[in-house]
Amino acid sequence: MHVFHIRYRNTQGTLMRILTAASRRGIDMPYVQAEPSEHTHKVTLLLDVNGKQIGQLCRDWRAVVDVIAVRAGAPLKEMMDYGPAWSTTPHLPPQAALPGERTQQALA
Amino acid sequence: MLKGAQIVLRCLRSEGVDLMFGYPGGAIMPLYDALEGSGVRHILARHEQGAVFAAEGYARSTGKVGVAVATSGPGATNLVTGIADAKMDSVPLVCLTGQVRSPLIGTDAFQETDVFGLTLSLTKWSRLVRSVEEIPEVIAQAFYWARNGRPGPVVLDLPVDLLKATTEFHGAAVFRPHPKPSDVSTDSTFCATMIAMLQQAKRPAALVGAGARLSGAVTELRRLLDYLQVPTFATVHGLGAVSPGKPYYLGMVGMHGTRAANLALNESDLLLVFGARLDDRVTGEPSRFAPHARIVHFEIDPAQLDRVRPCELPVIGDLAETIPTASAELSRVSLPDCSAWRAVACGQDRAQPDSRGMAQPTIRLLDELFRRLPENSFVVADVGQHQMWAAQRYRSDKPRGFITSGGLGAMGFALPGAIGVQLANPEATVLCVSGDGGIQMNIQELATVRRLGLPIKIVVVDNKYLGMVRQWQQLFYNRNYAETDMSDNPDFVAIGRAYGIKAEKLGPDSVSGLQTPSETGAQLDRFLKSPDAELLVFECPPEANVYPMVPSGGSVSEMLFEDE
Repeated sequence: MHVFHIRYRNTQGTLMRILTAASRRGIDMPYVQAEPSEHTHKVTLLLDVNGKQIGQLCRDWRAVVDVIAVRAGAPLKEMMDYGPAWSTTPHLPPQAALPGERTQQALA
Repeated sequence: MLKGAQIVLRCLRSEGVDLMFGYPGGAIMPLYDALEGSGVRHILARHEQGAVFAAEGYARSTGKVGVAVATSGPGATNLVTGIADAKMDSVPLVCLTGQVRSPLIGTDAFQETDVFGLTLSLTKWSRLVRSVEEIPEVIAQAFYWARNGRPGPVVLDLPVDLLKATTEFHGAAVFRPHPKPSDVSTDSTFCATMIAMLQQAKRPAALVGAGARLSGAVTELRRLLDYLQVPTFATVHGLGAVSPGKPYYLGMVGMHGTRAANLALNESDLLLVFGARLDDRVTGEPSRFAPHARIVHFEIDPAQLDRVRPCELPVIGDLAETIPTASAELSRVSLPDCSAWRAVACGQDRAQPDSRGMAQPTIRLLDELFRRLPENSFVVADVGQHQMWAAQRYRSDKPRGFITSGGLGAMGFALPGAIGVQLANPEATVLCVSGDGGIQMNIQELATVRRLGLPIKIVVVDNKYLGMVRQWQQLFYNRNYAETDMSDNPDFVAIGRAYGIKAEKLGPDSVSGLQTPSETGAQLDRFLKSPDAELLVFECPPEANVYPMVPSGGSVSEMLFEDE
């Protein structure tokens, strides 16, 4: 697992372009945190990537128009705790009580 | 007070736009309503994909930003292939898409699509415009990002209510980007390392890509190559950047590159890469690409470095700056004599024999057409076997002269692309070469050709197959020609004439006598010199193959040749 800290200007679509660089490679993102940071924004990503992917991702991110800086690092323990929780959490929301069968079928 | 639509058009004029390609619809209607008197000429295509490919042809042939316009929903989604094409081939493009009224965005309104989200990974930059006041700034930014650095596509999504809204217009904006700490322009310190590498090399070679012509550095590059005299080859988008008559030039490299180019690449111990992104059609299997070579990579886009194969010396920057810097330093030192290596790499025994098989008639036809083209001409090729034969036989030294969809390989590109090229270069001869598959993907644009009276010369290489796919099925899928049979093609001559275009047919036997004055030669002369649009359908042998061929996943040392 590797952590990436990306500083960016929070213009339309910039965060999505950062995340898309990972998602288009089929890389899961067990931990993502985006927040304001001084006059800009930063996003922290925890990704399970190999050495070649690290280089490719960093280059792709730096090419995004409003990305300011990219830094890779080692993950903190609390980030790693999210990994197992992500894989065991069901992806579907719990079903509320539904009024009837036809409604259930419509929602299927 | 001006309407948003008027402001858009005024800002386009400030950016030097005098031509845009599009197709109207509900959400973009206010922009069309404001066209008269705006100074921007609109070219009506017959499909939005035709419009965006035409905008690309305009941009590819001139280096200027192409502009395509479409309405919301299906209009915008029909632009997507062209946007992807522009991204892959570094084409400066601004697409203006209409969008539903701002309060309806996100409600799945009629003809609403999230074109901003849809094109995020295909664009350098994009914006859903949120106020009429921000239009000047947004347009300035859009053109900046489309043109600068590695050129590419930009999308501006314009809600219809903003196009109708009014505001004070204080003139076009000027955009100045924030400097990025990572925007490192390589200074001349790279030269010392490069010189050391050249002095150690015994088999240096050079690869020229699209960046050489995109940067406008062709003259400086040619001067440098003349000085170095190393075996040199080009990608499909680098064709024309090196003068084909140079004794060190070996032609196109890669999957369908020349034998000499691929062998030289494979044997080199130092590879100078000028503005090529080393895509898989050039490298073959990356782990076996140029196995002995150290790589010096001149490239404006840092994201392209080390992508496929690590380079020992990255030279990041605009080739228009880095090449003159390199030339100046190199002229002060002496380099080892590589004439022995050059003699081997460029020797006659590595030259490719002319095709003797079923491809011969088509290759001969292309040779005769290209031989007859005037200096001010462009060849626009679609995608497939004809594209590769055309690239292999292209001999002009015009850097933007050979235009094709390379990285994306989008069939249907050539006819609308040729429209854009002809409109950008009205005095030029534009030869559009397409297969029978590709021509049918945007055949409706013959109406655009006819309406505008564009004297485009259209050649349809009709082998009644999706030829390149059929070739792969023959070579790698045991001749299982699944869904590649086009034997029920329509009569293209009749279609051309139905669109009001002069059209005629040419068979393979007609080309056999082309070496001497002949009726066919006279026919080709008339075809190319006609003041009108012309369509020539060439019925060629159905199972001809393109050779040499490097199988996918193979290395260039595993080239297949004819008769194997």
